[in-house]
Amino acid sequence: MTRKPFAALSLAPAIALLAMLAIVSVGGAIWLALMNRTLRSPDAEFVGAYNFLRLLRDRRFFNALEISVIWELFTVAGTILLAVTLAILIFETVKKPIWRNLLCFAFLVPVLLPRVAAAFIWRFLYSPSLGVINYLLGLVGIGPVEFLADPSLALVSVAVVDIWQWGLFFTVILLKLLETLPRDPIEAAMLDNARTWEIHAYVTLPMLKGPIISLVLVKAVESLRSFDLIFVMTGGGPGTATETLDLYAYQMGINMGGRISYASAMSILLLVVTTIAFTIIWKAGRRWAN
Amino acid sequence: MANISCTDIVKAYGAHPVIDGLNLEIPDHQFVVFLGPSGCGKSTMLRMIAGLEDVTGGTIEISDEDVTTLPPGERDVAMVFQSYALYPHMSVADNITFGLRRQSVARDEIDRRLNHVAGLLGLEPFLDRKPKNLSGGQQQRVAMARAMIKTPKVFLFDEPLSNLDAKLREKLRTEIRKIHLSLKTTTIFVTHDQLEAMTIADSIVLMQSGRIEQIGTPDEIFERPASRFVADFIGTPAMNFLQAKISVDPEGLLATAGEIALRLSPEMFPSLKDGSDVELGLRPSRMDLCEPDATNALTGHVVLVENMGSEGQIITEMDGQEISFVTKEFRRLQPGQTVHFAIHPEHIHVFDPKTGKSLRSPDETL
Repeated sequence: MTRKPFAALSLAPAIALLAMLAIVSVGGAIWLALMNRTLRSPDAEFVGAYNFLRLLRDRRFFNALEISVIWELFTVAGTILLAVTLAILIFETVKKPIWRNLLCFAFLVPVLLPRVAAAFIWRFLYSPSLGVINYLLGLVGIGPVEFLADPSLALVSVAVVDIWQWGLFFTVILLKLLETLPRDPIEAAMLDNARTWEIHAYVTLPMLKGPIISLVLVKAVESLRSFDLIFVMTGGGPGTATETLDLYAYQMGINMGGRISYASAMSILLLVVTTIAFTIIWKAGRRWAN
Repeated sequence: MANISCTDIVKAYGAHPVIDGLNLEIPDHQFVVFLGPSGCGKSTMLRMIAGLEDVTGGTIEISDEDVTTLPPGERDVAMVFQSYALYPHMSVADNITFGLRRQSVARDEIDRRLNHVAGLLGLEPFLDRKPKNLSGGQQQRVAMARAMIKTPKVFLFDEPLSNLDAKLREKLRTEIRKIHLSLKTTTIFVTHDQLEAMTIADSIVLMQSGRIEQIGTPDEIFERPASRFVADFIGTPAMNFLQAKISVDPEGLLATAGEIALRLSPEMFPSLKDGSDVELGLRPSRMDLCEPDATNALTGHVVLVENMGSEGQIITEMDGQEISFVTKEFRRLQPGQTVHFAIHPEHIHVFDPKTGKSLRSPDETL
């Protein structure tokens, strides 16, 4: 057998499985989105674009879209900023390999926790009556602060947990990337009168531009899948203050009313928008990195 | 412009000192080469002077100012790295002017200096390019321009030519030398290439295992090596060494090693006594074909003829030892032939076989 058919044949089972999983679920969702199916009744009829048109008049949908965009920007930016800052701080201050490795190990723990476990831990930490954060704030005369019940704080408070999990993980990755950089350009910059922050701003981080863009994309995709974290911590509340699109779709389709078709339409729209957005971001990132 | 003085320099990694109590004075305007085999501490010394490596003990002064604990950027030195160490994401112009921009030099002053050094090194056509789109030689020129534009007190070169091919190396070597002649900035140049050192240096600091083996002009190092190590390290083809015994006769000093007997100059080696064991050093380039009855004639069988272009190295076997010499007449020699060649007594080096030190009288002039 020649190479090409053999390669195709070897790939076929995996591709068939993936295609089945993707096509069946996406196809099913599109089909549902064009019906007026609810969980309450077994009957449904074809309604065309009705669900999509209704979405455009749904203020709660646009609220969820806005929350999703804010969540996305906040968690991605927060994660990368925290990772860059901590990685540089450790790179410059912790020189002994043993301490570095211990720190890296500690920083890996949060991301190893299941989301739900992390969410519960932080719910306790945030608790106005029992939480250690409010206890500490109480010592300096602040609070108690309703982190998860205050609409203006809830989204940020949940985002902090996400940044805690991923920011520390990315810190480890960035620190290791910094360690792999050649020493010479850094030393040349030292001889060129660059201060420490200038060395990183003008030399090391630009040299890591490619990997950092990849990290941003990975985190952006990951941030889209924060349903479990938000669901456990706030359930989308208070009100709709932390209700992202996937939470709203869940509320619509499963929790309240069981309007499966409406929720499917929302999911399809989300799929289309994110695919387009990520293709553009990916291409732009590529061009910028080169 | 600056003189450099290093006093009692110690560098240790853990408890293990790699440089232990090194003293060195480099006068203003000099072009000094740190020469030595890999791991002799020459690069470490250079990096300590640059401030890239901490000094375990001792002091480093540049222009009589103690810089031992100053960060690299405040020492007013510029360095050219073996790997060029260019900033890969910046254009050539940005690479060259990075240091000046960090010092907030005025924009038009930066442009003026950039045009000057770019002109000097022939970099004008490449100013907008990224380093990866340049050849090795061009990249090293950019690195040199980056060092020169700062008009530092001291230039430091850390094996800058090692990554280039032989022809380019020679060309850039000449350029570096010319630049030094016009700028006269004190320069330290690290290399393990003795030919590079000989051709470029005002003064060579030959190092071994963290110690200075000899400091001198290229001529001094070549003609009057202070030790067997220096004699062995310098010169191509490498020096021949023979274990010999000294005998004193009415005609003067005679060194014998088996069938080989060589006359030595008594003025050069007044300390030699009858019966002392010595090690002789014979430079191949100081020997040539001769008549069988000439003074210090050696007779051997040709083992190999190595063509070096204008001359050839003849490797001969005599008395169980291989001795090589260099001659222009190599084309008429064949392996197996018997040849006679001689060395003038003044060109024979004599070393103490135990300490490796040269036994030549220090008073005697070159």
